[in-house]
Amino acid sequence: MRILVVGGGTGGTIVANNLARRLSAELRAGKVTLTMLSASDRHMYQPGLLYVAFGQMMPDALYRDQASLLEPSIEFHVDPVKHFMLDEQKVRTGSDRVFGYDVLVIATGSRMVPEEIPGLVEGSETFYSEAGAIKMYKALRNFQGGRIALVVGVPHKCPIAPVEATFSLHDFFKARGIRDQVEIKYHYPINRIHSIENVAKWAKPEFDRMEVAYETLFNLKEVDVANRIIRSEEDTEYAYDLLISIPAHRGMAVIEENQLGQAGWIPTDRHQLTMAGYDNVYVLGDTTNLPVSKTGSAAHFEAEVVAENIASIVKIGEPVREYDGKVYCFIEAGHDQATYAMFNYQNPPDLKPANKSMHWFKMSYNQLYWSSVRGLL
Amino acid sequence: MSDTKVIDACNTFCPGPLMELITYMKQAEVGDTLELLSTDQGSASDVPEWVEKVGHEMIGSEKVGEVWHIKVRKAK
Amino acid sequence: MSSQTNLSDGPAGRIEENVGAADLRHLLELATLVTAARDAMSDDIVTRMSSAVNEGLILLDRVTRNPGLMRLLQALERSECQSLLEALADALTATSRELVSDPTGSGAGGGLLRLLRDPGTRDTLRLVCVLGGHLSRNLEAATKVSVSPGGSGAPL
Repeated sequence: MRILVVGGGTGGTIVANNLARRLSAELRAGKVTLTMLSASDRHMYQPGLLYVAFGQMMPDALYRDQASLLEPSIEFHVDPVKHFMLDEQKVRTGSDRVFGYDVLVIATGSRMVPEEIPGLVEGSETFYSEAGAIKMYKALRNFQGGRIALVVGVPHKCPIAPVEATFSLHDFFKARGIRDQVEIKYHYPINRIHSIENVAKWAKPEFDRMEVAYETLFNLKEVDVANRIIRSEEDTEYAYDLLISIPAHRGMAVIEENQLGQAGWIPTDRHQLTMAGYDNVYVLGDTTNLPVSKTGSAAHFEAEVVAENIASIVKIGEPVREYDGKVYCFIEAGHDQATYAMFNYQNPPDLKPANKSMHWFKMSYNQLYWSSVRGLL
Repeated sequence: MSDTKVIDACNTFCPGPLMELITYMKQAEVGDTLELLSTDQGSASDVPEWVEKVGHEMIGSEKVGEVWHIKVRKAK
Repeated sequence: MSSQTNLSDGPAGRIEENVGAADLRHLLELATLVTAARDAMSDDIVTRMSSAVNEGLILLDRVTRNPGLMRLLQALERSECQSLLEALADALTATSRELVSDPTGSGAGGGLLRLLRDPGTRDTLRLVCVLGGHLSRNLEAATKVSVSPGGSGAPL
């Protein structure tokens, strides 16, 4: 059986390594082949970008060579897919090579699209890329006081990032001794300050304590860069001195170009994680159109289900597990404290009080991630 | 008859039903109708509040069993 | 009923009976130790410790799933290998020093002849030849096993 994994991010890497471990005998015997196609020879720990934006992590600490993370039995090519020919069970890559498959895993991820909002690219700082995070750190470092606006697009990767960035802004300027000269205003698209009700209930008094202002039901329509004003679809506006954005995301362009899903999100069965209409195509991580968080944690738990099911299909001909919607999110709460939210399709998140041990757990996870993507944790 | 795009946001907590509606509303054309399915009690009031504020059109909202069916037309 | 009365009073009573003053003092000491360790920690320490644990886990995973490396470790553990390992380690140190002190080597052909006249060089050459012989025989045996009658694998 030929298994092809397209995408070398968190989801793709975990699914490939997990499969290599589960199917080691079949791979050695040549009964199964496992191939990964990725757009990059490097793997980035994306949650680290927020730390880079606040000077708490250096960019080189975010990367490992992708090949070094993969089991030796995985055939790895840096050769992104350009054409999906699902009916012929083939893909064609950028170098014009054709790879056939019996089982395909699509884990191409998502990308920010700040260009969809007029003025957002030139008018705002964002930490969703390495260059952006470094630029944002320099802007924060040079900021001597004034009004900071934080805006949030829909949908976005890492739903907890807006709250974490706000806590970090407060701590950053407090540490610099100029918090009293900085006005922070948080803007959020729906009618509470976070999509998770319990997070919103917990964060509201924290924002009040930190004297962070907030406006809900604010969906950014445009940035007037010359006059430094943001305007919303709801017809409100705010004048800023420094704008920080969490831009809206889309799935990767190749998904849209191949008409696999609107806006790059592939229609996916919420329990089996198979693509609508194709039982031999699995989709995971940000690439799905599932109503779950676009985060490495969801990709991780989905990857475990996909790998277990593909392995069981090889061994007994049937899948054995269903994805229950599990997501586990660390929440950095400022003051060297953290908490977490865990939920699935049936159980809403129940937030625990933030403490220092959870902050260290997050710090530890920043390192243990590399064991996690290798399929160890 | 124009097609109604159905958004199944039942049993989801993050990003949640209203975020899902906003996502699909951005992808829709003016005049399109979207039907949001939600098991979150808050959706019955949250969604109309946003729809009114942003200037879209509420078509209807009814609870069938445990599921809210909320229909909205994109107006701008 | 008396048993119910005992149940409701029981747990507290049992704790008091079983935990003596000395035990409580020890618990208190332990709690102080935990607090002291917590206060002494920093983000940097946690990051470094986790990084070490991470690398250790990866190394352990690689070694334990690699039959060749496990065999090598087993062989290197044998007491008769120890003197060879120590000699190898000392030789590496001495070689590094010698190369630093005389990076260009002393002469071409003449220097090589001088090296060959050294009894130590001759012993080492003999060691390499013996090792090569064993390696060759073991490789031959391994190849024969992989193509032995009944085996389905292709020859190496």
